[in-house]
Amino acid sequence: KTMPTYKLSYFPGRGLGEVSRQMLHLSGTPFEDNRITMDDWPKHKESTPFGQMPVLTVDGKQIPQSFAIARYLANQFGFAGKTPLESAWVDALADQYKDYTTEIRPFLMVAYGFGEGDKDKLRKEVAEPAINKLFTILEKKAKENGSNGHFVGSSLTWVDLLVSDHMGILETHVPNAFTAFPTVQDIRKKTTSLPKLKEWIDKRPVTPF
Amino acid sequence: MPSYKLIYFDVRGLAEVSRFLFYLSSTPFQDYEVSDAEWLTLQGKTPYGKLPILEVDGKTLAQSFAIARYLAREFGFAGNSPFECALVDALGDQFKDYWGELFPYFATCAGIKEFGNSNILRREVGEPARDKFFTMLERVAKENGSNGHLVGDSLTWIDLTVADHITTLNNFSDGFVDDRFPAVLAVREKVMNDPRLTEYLAKRPKRYF
Repeated sequence: KTMPTYKLSYFPGRGLGEVSRQMLHLSGTPFEDNRITMDDWPKHKESTPFGQMPVLTVDGKQIPQSFAIARYLANQFGFAGKTPLESAWVDALADQYKDYTTEIRPFLMVAYGFGEGDKDKLRKEVAEPAINKLFTILEKKAKENGSNGHFVGSSLTWVDLLVSDHMGILETHVPNAFTAFPTVQDIRKKTTSLPKLKEWIDKRPVTPF
Repeated sequence: MPSYKLIYFDVRGLAEVSRFLFYLSSTPFQDYEVSDAEWLTLQGKTPYGKLPILEVDGKTLAQSFAIARYLAREFGFAGNSPFECALVDALGDQFKDYWGELFPYFATCAGIKEFGNSNILRREVGEPARDKFFTMLERVAKENGSNGHLVGDSLTWIDLTVADHITTLNNFSDGFVDDRFPAVLAVREKVMNDPRLTEYLAKRPKRYF
């Protein structure tokens, strides 16, 4: 059976597409990193299943929704947890992360330059509570998992990648965001020092988010 | 066989899909209802301070869709190939996005939180969210062959989620999911007429949402 062809279509940022790019790279799988600018997006929108990106195209068939894509690739390449219950826990943490992105969105939109607002006020009233709520849960889970450099189980999963990359973006906007979460910081350190991931981080286009 | 305990409030809400999965697979489980009073002491003991949670042989899993997906995989309602599983997941994620848009209308009708006048919210929030989401679902159902399923040719957890959600929407406003969406209504019909659910549907408490 020949290897499928993969194309990941997303905006030129990391955002919701980065975890999938990382898994494709970590697994040594060639893929087309199809970056579509905001200006070009309108002419591609209708060709996507839900009018949104990212979209993964596998041998010409499309999968929309960032986490459905991530889970599909994680299952293909072995980053989804080693048992059904581990996979379910990875999913649960990812869903909790999703809830968090909704809570912190008003701050990030201003921080990224997509809207007007009082960044300092939003940092204090929106970002910090949201970060503390999620990262308290993550810190607890990381400790319960044995402080072994992973949120779930004993090998890399896509939620390790997801949280680690987000921390890199967030710390440029919320200084010292993670001082109360040392076990999570360890996961990020361990994840980002994987040689193959470092290789990707060094060669990927540099984007602020 | 593992022992299962599903813990939720006295509503259908985000847990009904999991209840359906137990009945469809004839898997015994404890359907544990938490009262408002009990929730005050239980909340601090849950992984994320929210329900539903699922206990599997005493191990706890949180997040409604992580639970649904886990049970669906165990019992054969997740999709018939990795690609189909991903499409089911994508629709689940899209449902969650829609849920966020719908929430002010939903929460007001359900009496969970007041966002304003429910008639105005129906017009300004509920109807646009419904039109956007169900138009997409109708297209998906038709592209899948109008065979009574949203993905593939057998029952999946997204069929169950959408079917139960339509019950709630129509409870809030009769005929809310109307005949512009015949292929989606056919998916619901198929679920509500599944012989494996007949007994449960007849005996379950009548719940508004």
